[in-house]
Amino acid sequence: MSKIWSFMILISLFVGIGSGRITSLNQVLVSVGQETLDFALPMMASTCFFSGVMYVAKEGGLMSALEKLLRPFFRLILPDLKNNPEALQYISANIVINMFGLGFAATPSGLKAMQLMQKDNPKKDTATRSMITFLVLNTAGVTILSTMIVSLRAQFNAVIPTDYMPYAIIATTCACIAGLLMDRWCNYRGK
Amino acid sequence: MASEIILPALVILIFVVALIKKVDAYEAFISGCKEGLGLFVNVFSSLLAMMLSISLLRESGVFDILSDFICKIFPSIPAPIFPLVMFRPISGSASLAILIDIFKNFGPDSLAGKMASVIQGSTDTTLYVITLYFSTVGIKKIKNSLWIGLFADFVGITLGILLTLKFMS
Repeated sequence: MSKIWSFMILISLFVGIGSGRITSLNQVLVSVGQETLDFALPMMASTCFFSGVMYVAKEGGLMSALEKLLRPFFRLILPDLKNNPEALQYISANIVINMFGLGFAATPSGLKAMQLMQKDNPKKDTATRSMITFLVLNTAGVTILSTMIVSLRAQFNAVIPTDYMPYAIIATTCACIAGLLMDRWCNYRGK
Repeated sequence: MASEIILPALVILIFVVALIKKVDAYEAFISGCKEGLGLFVNVFSSLLAMMLSISLLRESGVFDILSDFICKIFPSIPAPIFPLVMFRPISGSASLAILIDIFKNFGPDSLAGKMASVIQGSTDTTLYVITLYFSTVGIKKIKNSLWIGLFADFVGITLGILLTLKFMS
């Protein structure tokens, strides 16, 4: 990542100077810190708000209700975790928290689940089938409400900040199903 | 518009359940806010780094050159979307910086703004998640997990573009 980042900066500076856009380059270099703060501060402020609301949901048991609802589904797609109910529990917590767009709050439970799966792993440097399925589920995970996008859209005065959501939910659900099918197919072929 | 009701309805549901379950909603809200505040410190530095490179790429004209080229292949997709498609699976802060850039220059209700929101919301940062989760437990052989993750991203992003073109333009 570091190389790509440095490369992006250097190539734009060279191209910019070559095409005579030195004034606008200066503009960026001088003001980018201020500008980023201008976006980041209100965005974080409203992310805080959403995070607060979601914690109320968590405390009220809405998330654990959803977790219980999804548990049979996780048992179905992660058959190797029959004897590791604890890992399964952390996995469902991780996926459910992700669903509510609190990615940063989901990471601890996800890492805990990885450690529990690693304990039963016969080959410690190689990923197990369940780990891969879990990460597919996580990266392609269904997100119902992405707090950051809604906050940003509101900040830039979108008429309806949430209007993109139905389409994002359809796309993310299909991506998740596609990832899981691909994972299954790879397992099937690998046998 | 039906989607306008999503947020208020969700908040009502959450608070009604909290009331029934006799949860200290105020305390929960406060601790959630604090968690969000901690995020700011982590995100700001990497967001700044990415805003720098993305702004430079745009102001120097590199984006224009690339977009002109790609627009000839896919004429119906707005050009500013392509950097987002490229960076979405690789870096969360880079794609967030591009999303902000699009909102700033075209507005969140433009076709590009809507499409960018759907794409950003349709997948997670595959590379980041895989690197973090596997390295934490010391796994080096990740088998085909990266390819499956990228495949899912591809499906999500393609579908996001098609849905926006069909329903939101």
